[in-house]
Amino acid sequence: MGAQKKPAVARVRDDSEDLTRQRLQAIVLADSFTTQFRPITLERPKVLLPLVNIPMIDYTLAWLESAGIEDIFVFCCVHSSQVIDYLEKSEWYSRSNPNLLVRTIVSPKSTSVGDALRYIYEQQTETSQIQGDFVLVSGDTVSNMPLADLIQEHRDRKKKDEKAIMTMVIKKQSRLGLGSDQLFIAVDPLTKQLVRYEEGNARIGDVCLDKSLLDSTVLLCNDMQDCYIDICSPEVLSLFEDNFDYQHLRRHFVNGLLVDDIMGYKIFTHEIQSSFYATRIENLRSYDMVSKNIIQRWTYPFVPDINFSGKCSLMLGRQGIYRASDAVQSRSADIGASTVIGYGTRIGNGGKIFNSVIGNGCSIGSNVVIQGSYIWNNVTIEDGCEIRNAIVCDGVKIRAGAVLQPGVVLSFNVVVGRDFVVPTYSKVSLLQQPTTEDSDEEMEYAGSSSGTADLLSGVHNLQIESKASELGPDGTGYIWEVCDSAHDEEWKHSVVPIPMDKLADITRAMDDDDIEDESVVPPAGELKSDTDSINTDANDDYGYFEREVEETFLMAIIKDDVDHVIRLINSRRFAYNMASADCAGAVFYSMMRLAVNTPHNSASELYRNATTIITKWKGLLGFYLKQIDEQIEVIMKFEEMCEESEELGPLFAQIVHFLYDKDVVQEGAILRWGEEKAGADECDKVYLNQCEAFIQWLKEASEEEEEEEDS
Amino acid sequence: MHPAVYKVGLQYLSGDISGGNARCIAMLQAFQEVVKDYSTPPEKTLNRNMAAKISSYVSFLRDCRPLSVSMENAIRFVKNRIAKLPITLSESEAKAALKSDIARFINEKIIGADTVIVKHAVTKIRDGDVLLTYGSPTAVEMVLLHAHELGKKFRVLVVDSRPKLQGQLLLRRLIKRGINCAYTHINAISYIMHQVTKVFLGASSVFSNGTVYSRVGTACVAMVATAFRVPVLVCCEAYKFHERVLLDYSICSSNELGDPNAISKVHGREDINYFDGLTNNANLKFLNLMYDATPSDYISMIITDYGMVPPTSVPVIVRECQKEHNCFESPKIVI
Repeated sequence: MGAQKKPAVARVRDDSEDLTRQRLQAIVLADSFTTQFRPITLERPKVLLPLVNIPMIDYTLAWLESAGIEDIFVFCCVHSSQVIDYLEKSEWYSRSNPNLLVRTIVSPKSTSVGDALRYIYEQQTETSQIQGDFVLVSGDTVSNMPLADLIQEHRDRKKKDEKAIMTMVIKKQSRLGLGSDQLFIAVDPLTKQLVRYEEGNARIGDVCLDKSLLDSTVLLCNDMQDCYIDICSPEVLSLFEDNFDYQHLRRHFVNGLLVDDIMGYKIFTHEIQSSFYATRIENLRSYDMVSKNIIQRWTYPFVPDINFSGKCSLMLGRQGIYRASDAVQSRSADIGASTVIGYGTRIGNGGKIFNSVIGNGCSIGSNVVIQGSYIWNNVTIEDGCEIRNAIVCDGVKIRAGAVLQPGVVLSFNVVVGRDFVVPTYSKVSLLQQPTTEDSDEEMEYAGSSSGTADLLSGVHNLQIESKASELGPDGTGYIWEVCDSAHDEEWKHSVVPIPMDKLADITRAMDDDDIEDESVVPPAGELKSDTDSINTDANDDYGYFEREVEETFLMAIIKDDVDHVIRLINSRRFAYNMASADCAGAVFYSMMRLAVNTPHNSASELYRNATTIITKWKGLLGFYLKQIDEQIEVIMKFEEMCEESEELGPLFAQIVHFLYDKDVVQEGAILRWGEEKAGADECDKVYLNQCEAFIQWLKEASEEEEEEEDS
Repeated sequence: MHPAVYKVGLQYLSGDISGGNARCIAMLQAFQEVVKDYSTPPEKTLNRNMAAKISSYVSFLRDCRPLSVSMENAIRFVKNRIAKLPITLSESEAKAALKSDIARFINEKIIGADTVIVKHAVTKIRDGDVLLTYGSPTAVEMVLLHAHELGKKFRVLVVDSRPKLQGQLLLRRLIKRGINCAYTHINAISYIMHQVTKVFLGASSVFSNGTVYSRVGTACVAMVATAFRVPVLVCCEAYKFHERVLLDYSICSSNELGDPNAISKVHGREDINYFDGLTNNANLKFLNLMYDATPSDYISMIITDYGMVPPTSVPVIVRECQKEHNCFESPKIVI
């Protein structure tokens, strides 16, 4: 794998002078390869979506330029013509800055980061554009961090250690606000080498660590955010070429390198200071978050009142209100804090707008309420509409009196009918939802741009008559259905602030984690096979075994078949290598648990529950309680249980007596137990004392028997 | 030296306890411990001996950090009580009486006073107000939190200044409760004063000519606010009032000087090091003042536990306070 010499890329130059002369290069992926922004991204690439009225890619390019990058390769896949058109018209091509060169690479067939990098690698053999280390970012990154030092750091490290091929930027921040999944990373605190990278919905407690990691010092963090800014050496490209199944940069490439240990390549991390900003817009929630951060100027100098992208800048007023100079606003309209109003926008009487972004050329009628929303360009909103926490794309018409409930996304040119209420979290588009939902998350948009056009002209025209009424009589557009599994997650990614109850749930879940872990029953048989698991001492095994037996027992109650239960429990017993006495203890434990868990009001009722259960499952107990030792084990186990449960405590003697009556426990066992316990500490003797009378009676009875036998 | 006093002294020194009320309460609680553990040495009287002891403790505390006017008032109260203890009382009775007196002072004059101030001040906050506060005054914080609990809609501008940056702590607590806040440094005061509707300030002490003695920078805020015709409300408990008259507005003779290093260095910015090697220069002095005095002209109203009064009425409260003090302390004089 990657052993053969790469002709163009792997020219690692030893000459340090050469290294310093290398142009700083960056690859910008103008495609997110995800479906988070659907349905908007069916019609326009994500990088051209306006973020506070400026296309996202401008933020990325402006940042790269300010960070001293000289060559920028913009990689376009789907909608490549739109991206190229935009770049050609923008200042990036005609820029007066002679040091900056923006070029595009087009590959409409690429459907993942892996494909993209493979394509670049192939191109590389012909043109050798990439001369050395490069910055790999996505076109939706907003940042103001300096890169020069970081690249230097990467190069120095590379010079010392050939295998250090990538430096990943991380930042301390809560990921909740960005709506992305929990991230868990393990870093060597001295060298900053990344040793584990785990992303997913897993709760914080459930992370499996390789044992070997614990040999040296590691720093485990779950409060870090991956900025998706990577400094890569050319080897990264060749690695993608060698491993043609790599698709996702993090899930496949990074994890592949860390877990499979390919050629001993290493990835390092760089934590940026909190004073710098670096975030990628992954979903609508982070879109909302980053927009607010831009308005609050955390991304300085990339803020709306500074002309960084060749567009006219807005004027900053008090309380974070940015207003275009030619925006027309009625005197009676109330514009609240943290609002942006674009060029040529007209706002009617008595409106109330706050915490929102209004694009260019919009016309907003009278008495409109807009809160926490993103209205893009050329949107018409008629009188009396109410819009809360929504995204409204270009050219949308919202007729008088319509209401957009929180979380709504209206794609391009949708028309919402008069007085229509768009339900919460709905996504509306002129295009129909693709019926064959791709299970592979890597697939970006439905088909290529030409396919989209077909979809637009063909399907839409056919069904427009019948389906148009989905948004009221005079509206146009389809409301996309949300698949069931995604519905519960909707709040996580939407522009709506996280609902209070969900937030409370999350914080509670975090607090409860330690407690919850105790009660988790692992799936049968999995524990033995997992040799990596750190906790494999006997005590824990017994705990698991006990729980499994309990589960089995509870399941068996429904079936009511003693032989079946015995079979099942025996299989568990062999799986865990337990003695018969352990089984007996566990079975009895489960029975008592059942008795305690059955609803009861008084101690006598509990006793009655216990006796019915014991009577019913006498046979099962009998199977395991053939020996005196096993019976003693059960009594001891019961004693333990009584110590834990206050309810059972007082019933100890009664139940032991009952067990004796039912011939489950023989008198010899009880007497032996009594003798064993007689030497124990006072505090251990609570239950022995309770049984004092009973044992006495047993002794007398046996003596009498003996006497009888004698006589 | 009693360990409780020693501990409080060290906490003053390290800055763990700061703020007029907190310092005063810590000191009084230390004195309570002192009284609890006290036993009269043979051939000495309780009144004289304990007063001497307290005096020595006070001088220790003064060495740790100069005492505030409020603390001096509290010390005067304690000494007064000790001196007025009837000779007929047994030692244990005297100790119990003293302890309950100190507890009463804490509860009535400090904690109780704050709740009354909050009650008065909240009536001055209306929906849509933009309130400005400076530093981290505890009384004002309580007012803001209470107003928020009552459901009033207002914004808070927290103005802060180096080197202590106490406003950041206040800001954190306000944001936690969901109050809409903005934060800026005192340099920007003239810019933000436009939008402010009321200024709420705390005070270390109020003198009888209405001068407010408070954290350095307060005078500046009050003056800018007056220039913009924004009412300035000062929240101050009556036990901090003093009959002294303060005329020297720029630097009072009793002002406290902070660590000069605190203003010569910028924390976390190693690149700002223009003073390196100059700190011992005979021609250079760093002045890090802790307090300043705000003339009464710049104060619209003082909110105390006796109600809301204009600064010109401070002497009345001082007098009434004194009278009440005397009544409370020694009814014999009244007869």
